[in-house]
Amino acid sequence: MHFARSIAATALLLLLPAIAPAAPVAVVDDAGNRLRLDAPAQRIVSLTPHLTENLFAVGAGEQIVGASQFSDHPPEAEDIPRIGGYSRIDIERVLALEPDLVVGWSSGNDMAQLERLIGLGVPVYISEPRSFADIASTLERLGHLSGNDATGSRAAEALLSGVSALETRYRDAEPVSVFYQVWQQPLMTVNDDHLIAKAIALCGGDNVFGALDTLVPRIDRESVLELDPEVIAAGGMGEDRRDWVEAWRQWPQLQAVRKEQLLFIPPSLIQRHTPRVLEGTTLLCDALAAARAARASGNRDIAR
Amino acid sequence: MTRPSRSLLVLLPGALLALALAVAIGSVNLAPAEIWAVLRGAGEPLHRTMLMELRLPRALAAFAVGGLLSVAGALMQVLLRNPLADPYVLGLSGGAAVGALLAMIAGLGMALVSGAAFTGALVSTAIVFGTAHGTGSWTPTRLLLTGVVVAAGWGALISFLLAIAPARELPGMLFWLMGDMANARTPWPPLVVLALVVAAAMPFGRSLNVLARGPQQAAALGVAVRRMEWTVYVAAALITATAVTVAGSVGFVGLIVPHMLRLVVGYDQRIILPASALAGGTLLVLADTLARTIIAPEQLPVGVITAMLGVPVFLWLLHRSQST
Repeated sequence: MHFARSIAATALLLLLPAIAPAAPVAVVDDAGNRLRLDAPAQRIVSLTPHLTENLFAVGAGEQIVGASQFSDHPPEAEDIPRIGGYSRIDIERVLALEPDLVVGWSSGNDMAQLERLIGLGVPVYISEPRSFADIASTLERLGHLSGNDATGSRAAEALLSGVSALETRYRDAEPVSVFYQVWQQPLMTVNDDHLIAKAIALCGGDNVFGALDTLVPRIDRESVLELDPEVIAAGGMGEDRRDWVEAWRQWPQLQAVRKEQLLFIPPSLIQRHTPRVLEGTTLLCDALAAARAARASGNRDIAR
Repeated sequence: MTRPSRSLLVLLPGALLALALAVAIGSVNLAPAEIWAVLRGAGEPLHRTMLMELRLPRALAAFAVGGLLSVAGALMQVLLRNPLADPYVLGLSGGAAVGALLAMIAGLGMALVSGAAFTGALVSTAIVFGTAHGTGSWTPTRLLLTGVVVAAGWGALISFLLAIAPARELPGMLFWLMGDMANARTPWPPLVVLALVVAAAMPFGRSLNVLARGPQQAAALGVAVRRMEWTVYVAAALITATAVTVAGSVGFVGLIVPHMLRLVVGYDQRIILPASALAGGTLLVLADTLARTIIAPEQLPVGVITAMLGVPVFLWLLHRSQST
């Protein structure tokens, strides 16, 4: 009897490491809060599309039990139960999913709602990436919190090495002036604090509205005409909607129109803070390189 | 029993039913047995959190806000003797909105946004009070005109703030302007104010009835008209400021509920005021229940629903009252 019990106990002890690697995990999030979980999160709710995507990127896709509207990448993300749009989430649904981790975005989600969740005792990771390094560190931290340290680090390294390859390649490239259009009505661009502007700089571009104070300033078409950028880049209302960038053709006096330097970048490739930002940045760098080539092959009379 | 007081007896259970419905219905379906378990003090902690920390405080806050706005609307309609008067007609919600939006642009937390809204409401009240009072003589028309112009000024400031606000703040700002219960935490302050106001107004019911007929008649019947009018104005302003602080500028309730009740229960303020509290509260509780469930998990601001529910009901009542 006694013997049998001790065998059972030994067996249990031997099994333990295999079934429950329940070491506590802890990170500091972008709001500066220290988040500690008793064990890696197994039921994660993601409050924005880009965090859903990042969780998949670190191999935690299976652990997501709820995601915000428009969490559409990778395709498997479409099947995750929805918890509302990112600007106003359905707190009741989030609670019903009994998450052991909620990941939110301070500039997209309603801060009052995030505070509410924290107040209800839900562990909330608050994300606010502003640079490539921030995205990489987000991937590492999400990997750690979800018990996917290795894949998290690999995803982060892949992103950073891709970025540094582009950096090396375009470090001494001649500057090309770029206007990036974030929105059509009203017309909006980004200043140099924005991740998109960092992608432009990485490619050897010069963001014509970089010095403005607001992160996503509203501007008028007149100032674009006056600054006459060499490249006009824009997203659109969908992944294959080129109408924003095509609309600039009504001003043929723009050198970007004359020299066909109108670039469409699918918005999810550059406006979402995920590893795919590397794809968008590569598209942008290629376009700037083409603009340099066009400049070199003549047209010097009309270039500024 | 008279017809008016009978209607109070209908409205009270109606309000309780609406509150029960608001607690029972949500975007997550709970079985009646699970709800009952929580009410008995048992039940799963998760269900308990949903009912007692999310649904019940929000429903009670919605009831208080709806009640406050309706009572304020009823008082304003008496004060200004104008059927189009509502709690916001004198620019109060505009002042509150400017305060709230400024706080949101500054990135302040919800508690400070509420404080800024309350301050803005009081500033607006003081401006209207001061300028309408300036030359010594004033009439409801003068007060109304001052209020409408001040409201237009706030409107311009609101548009300006919306135009320059960072994109990330815009959804929250729009929800605030449309009126939204999602940020209501403790329902007690507005509930207490509602109870106090209705209790305090009852002894003045007769004077209000007389005042509604016109200042000359009121003065002839021994009402201290000037003092009465300022008391009504300040009371309505404070009530509205309380409501706006909790839920933003929820439209429609304050304008329509008193009219609805006049169509049904007549013109006695002693009935209209408590009936407004009950009916306005009930309308907002039902509207908010729909707002958080109708396209769940997407959440709507309650202000969208109040008009959608209220307009057909009001038109029906109006039509009925003409044909009988």
